[in-house]
Amino acid sequence: MITGFGKNSFALLALFISGFVVLNGMIDDWGRLSGSFQNLIDFFHQSLWPPDWTVLEAQAYPVCTTPEPFSFTCSTAWIGMTETIKIAFVSTILGMIISLPIALLAARNLNSPRISYLARFILAAGRSLPSLIWAIFFVILIGLGPLSGIFAMTIYTVGYLGKLQYEAIEGMDKAPLDAANSMGLSKFEKSLGVVIPESANHLISQAIFMFEYNVRHGTVIGIVGAGGIGYYINLYLKFLQYDKVMAYLIIIFITVLLIDFLSIYARSFFNEEDNVNRPSWWGVILPDILRWQ
Amino acid sequence: MTENNENQNSEPIVSLSGLTIGFDSKNPLVQVPDLKIYSGEIVAITGASGVGKTTLLRTIAGLVSPITGTLEVCNSILPKLPPRGSVGYIPQRLGLVRHASVKHNVMMGARAGHTNPHAITPSAESLSRTKDAIERMGLTDKIDEPIRRLSGGQQRRVATARSLAQSPRLIMADEFLSELDEETLNSVLFEVTEYVRSTQAALIVVEHDVSRAKSMADRMLVIDDGRVNPFLSETTALEVNL
Repeated sequence: MITGFGKNSFALLALFISGFVVLNGMIDDWGRLSGSFQNLIDFFHQSLWPPDWTVLEAQAYPVCTTPEPFSFTCSTAWIGMTETIKIAFVSTILGMIISLPIALLAARNLNSPRISYLARFILAAGRSLPSLIWAIFFVILIGLGPLSGIFAMTIYTVGYLGKLQYEAIEGMDKAPLDAANSMGLSKFEKSLGVVIPESANHLISQAIFMFEYNVRHGTVIGIVGAGGIGYYINLYLKFLQYDKVMAYLIIIFITVLLIDFLSIYARSFFNEEDNVNRPSWWGVILPDILRWQ
Repeated sequence: MTENNENQNSEPIVSLSGLTIGFDSKNPLVQVPDLKIYSGEIVAITGASGVGKTTLLRTIAGLVSPITGTLEVCNSILPKLPPRGSVGYIPQRLGLVRHASVKHNVMMGARAGHTNPHAITPSAESLSRTKDAIERMGLTDKIDEPIRRLSGGQQRRVATARSLAQSPRLIMADEFLSELDEETLNSVLFEVTEYVRSTQAALIVVEHDVSRAKSMADRMLVIDDGRVNPFLSETTALEVNL
């Protein structure tokens, strides 16, 4: 007799088998995998490790005027990384300013379906292409540099953040809107006086998350010339200087990790309830298993 | 009664005619008798839980469309909504902006009643009405406190202050006196009834406590699904003059 558990197990097995069958159909020669691990070890030892930390030294030109302990601020790694963070910061702010009015129009609890679908169409268009493709488009349109990156990431932020925002607005408690509707408040008054304050915690938390997301993606758009650390990664990839690329990747990893922690900590200030235990600094940084409290 | 007869010579604030309410036309919730509510009147809606008291109130507030019948509120026949600021509604869950201050919440009511919808800043009248309503509800020391930090009873007082600051012609309140201690209940009830009598507004209140409903209202609308009157074949609202 097949029990409920048995049925679920059978469905999982069927899914696994169908996944394997599709994979097998795509791979013509499984033998190619045999030497891959050795290839990775060779590539790691011969090209990636040790990383070339000269990327943290000041560039020869332009001449660095910063005193010695801080001369790393003239390095390509520092310049590239700070530019990526700046692009992410500006894009997040611009994206939030543009997306919020569109999200208010897209929310079905505030507007008619016709207006809502039009606003949703605009937001969907913004996130239909990844920021990398938008970056290629803007590099062609306005040339190389961080401005293309800002435009690309702003458009993507509008699409992505706008979706999160209208979902937060639609999920808000119905009672304040009921009271506002029966009072006869205008849409503008409802938006500014009820919707934004009521969903402010969600909106701020989403904006912080979006900044973190943009920093991660900002490292990639430089590869197509839209500014940031990706530009240098692409440069050294072309010269096959993988040890320098490795150093950049480690710097990106540490920066993204730090911003991730900062983001978790900052978002903990925007909880729905006051009595939520706020994580301590070490609580955010340490994985669950290593916490003693 | 004399007061009631005087009222009935004036224009009604609410007129219900042939009203059937609910969410499914094949299975309506309540048959409502033809009813007019006049200025200066307090009408209580009572009945067992789940019979449709809140739905009736939400229908009069224009938040739920009736299945059949005509509904006129403040001289506007549905689907046309009543003029801005003429209806104050205190939902069962109060409908306050939890992350905003007491002042912000009360100001939303004052804006609806006393500020042009296109104005960015509230009018001087709105500001003074806000201050006055907060004072009358005894919340002056909590004026900048966010709603989420207030007790249930204090939140009910804020919701009442919001409606008073609006100076509406009709207040609709859904169990707005629950969770209040005896002293606060009496003072809130006094302020609201005083407002209704002095401004010749009307109050429709949903109240599950029948004795309290009797003590405050001029008329009662008892919604009965057969539990009170077993001869009723469908859920009906019965008008009771007090």
